[in-house]
Amino acid sequence: MELKIESLSKDFKEVRAVDRVSCRMENGVYGLLGVNGAGKTTLMRMLCTLLTPTEGKITYHGKDIFAMGEEYRKVLGYLPQEFGYYPDFTVKDYLLYIASIKGINRAVAQKKVTMLLQKVGLSKQQNRKMKKLSGGMKRRAGIAQAMLNDPEILILDEPTAGLDPSERIRFRNLISELARERLVILSTHIVSDVEYIANQILLMKDGALLRFGTLQEIIGEVEEKVWSADIPISKAQDYMRRYKVVSARTGQGMAHMRILSDKAPYPGAVEEELTLEDVFLHYFGETAGEEDDQV
Amino acid sequence: MIRYELKKVFVKPGSRIALLLLALLLGVVCFFAMDVGYVNEQGKQETGIHAMRKLREVKKEWEGELTEDVLASVIAENARINGLPGYWGEEGFATDMGYGWKQGIYDICRMLSTAFGAFREYDYRRVDSLSPKDAGQFYERRILQLKEWLFGEANEQFSEGEKAFLIGRFEELETPLFYDYLYGWDQLFEYAPTVIMITVLILGFLAAGIFSGEFQLKADAIFFSSRHGRGKASRAKLWAGLIMVTVIYWGMVLLYSAIVLGCMGTDGAGCAIQMTGRGWKSFYNITIWQEYLLILFGGYLGAIFILLLVMLVSAKARSAVLAVTIPFFLLFLPNFLTMVPVSLIGRICGLLPDQLLQMNMAVCYYNLYQIGGKVIGAVPILLVAYLALTVLLGPVIYQVYRKAEAG
Repeated sequence: MELKIESLSKDFKEVRAVDRVSCRMENGVYGLLGVNGAGKTTLMRMLCTLLTPTEGKITYHGKDIFAMGEEYRKVLGYLPQEFGYYPDFTVKDYLLYIASIKGINRAVAQKKVTMLLQKVGLSKQQNRKMKKLSGGMKRRAGIAQAMLNDPEILILDEPTAGLDPSERIRFRNLISELARERLVILSTHIVSDVEYIANQILLMKDGALLRFGTLQEIIGEVEEKVWSADIPISKAQDYMRRYKVVSARTGQGMAHMRILSDKAPYPGAVEEELTLEDVFLHYFGETAGEEDDQV
Repeated sequence: MIRYELKKVFVKPGSRIALLLLALLLGVVCFFAMDVGYVNEQGKQETGIHAMRKLREVKKEWEGELTEDVLASVIAENARINGLPGYWGEEGFATDMGYGWKQGIYDICRMLSTAFGAFREYDYRRVDSLSPKDAGQFYERRILQLKEWLFGEANEQFSEGEKAFLIGRFEELETPLFYDYLYGWDQLFEYAPTVIMITVLILGFLAAGIFSGEFQLKADAIFFSSRHGRGKASRAKLWAGLIMVTVIYWGMVLLYSAIVLGCMGTDGAGCAIQMTGRGWKSFYNITIWQEYLLILFGGYLGAIFILLLVMLVSAKARSAVLAVTIPFFLLFLPNFLTMVPVSLIGRICGLLPDQLLQMNMAVCYYNLYQIGGKVIGAVPILLVAYLALTVLLGPVIYQVYRKAEAG
């Protein structure tokens, strides 16, 4: 199993949404991390043959996925960021319809739908209309549809966005469970999701692939250090302005800060181990979390 | 897949309301189509199925070939009734009772008045001034009227070839015509375009979302990334649209036909269309039954063509709102265009798809076209041209949709 992206670019008029991205993926979970507007969704849409690249190519087992057409889509499961559904369909009908357009025969589809509904915890809601489901339930129906054809490549675009913490944990566990024996590409700007699930991480910025590797490799490539220090509140604003502050917690006249810096930013500051969140701040700095257009 | 595509359409509350509205409108149209009265001996109007049967009975007395003798008898009968006490009312009009006496010969009298009047005029009392010996000129008058009009008022409107074509067609009409009670067909044809147009407008509403729905619901990403999204599933949408149009169209027109003909009778199917008020001047020498088939199949072709256009706009523009305006545009624009006094526009209007939905009118219009030096009426051109366009539209919609970028 090999999915290869070679010098892939996508332009929307004057804007380059994806810029010469290259990488090779095998089985496992690949976390695509970047701020909004980094090009994650565009890259994923190209991986799903929804958008055609301006330059470069994507191959699956050496064959161009666009030339493969339905042979490629046969092994693909996709949960888009904006999960569209048919509001007046019941959950079961929705899944049976998706099964039909995935080319699964009706008898198999019936069994598969029952099994997946159970797996995502929607058995009791199977006859409820899609529009009546909660946000978390809709996402679970979304993952169920993506899994209907037992895909070799599962692409999940911001699957945990908008979910409450318990739903998010549940969803993360579900993805981990589904990730065995297949390639899962998970796009998110929620760092902890990637940290918990991904074997490999792809950091994207301004359409380009900034870093690609395991969590340890990504962390190892960062030269900056992370420090924790208790700083008087009166100086906190100044530190926030001068340093990349990962987190700040105030209490009793002091602010407990986690700061990225080459040197100790404050006397008595203690060097800590870098986490992915620190790395994220290191690369994306103050632009992290800005609400850009979806590209 | 097709089943689910149809389900997507009909599961929407709006679609169900549209179908209910369609059924309601059919009921209203049937009510008007069957609003036929019979005036009894006392001059009182009777309505309902019983009245229709009585009307049929009195008209049936004159069933048969309209030979010179029969026409002379009608003229004589008309004169006899005119002379009966109680026929004339106060202001020189027939009394209700007097009208009732003439119900049986009314259709033939109307034809006589038409034949002996000017080509573009109708004086319903012209028959009163005829004598039985005029009956022999009845069929000649039809041709003579046309010639007078063609070489007089309409001299500039038609080429010599077109004039010869029309005269030839008039001369080809087999006479004597056969008369029968055909009120059922007459009323059916009168309101058929209304039924067909209402059906097309409602179908336009239903079909507009078939292709654009995926984009509007943001379901396109999953649809197109599925195995058959750019193949079978796109074709299933097209088939669902065609099945929906076919079932609803035929359901409506056959139900309408069954109700009207069931109540008013199917007599007269073999009569020439010239036997009807509208068809007297038609150059299409066809029977009522053939006109019925033309109305149904022409309407179906028109409905399919217009609905495929709706689906094409829906697929290309990804907007149901824009797509739903197409039938309105195609059905109502010609009404404005015909107001423009330019001959070319008139000829173009004769070939617009709305004509297919009103074949009962198309067979009455003198829309003529010359193809390779041969004069031909609009009806065969409409059927062939739109059949070809319809066959082409299907693959175009499929290609446009399957190549759409999504997400």
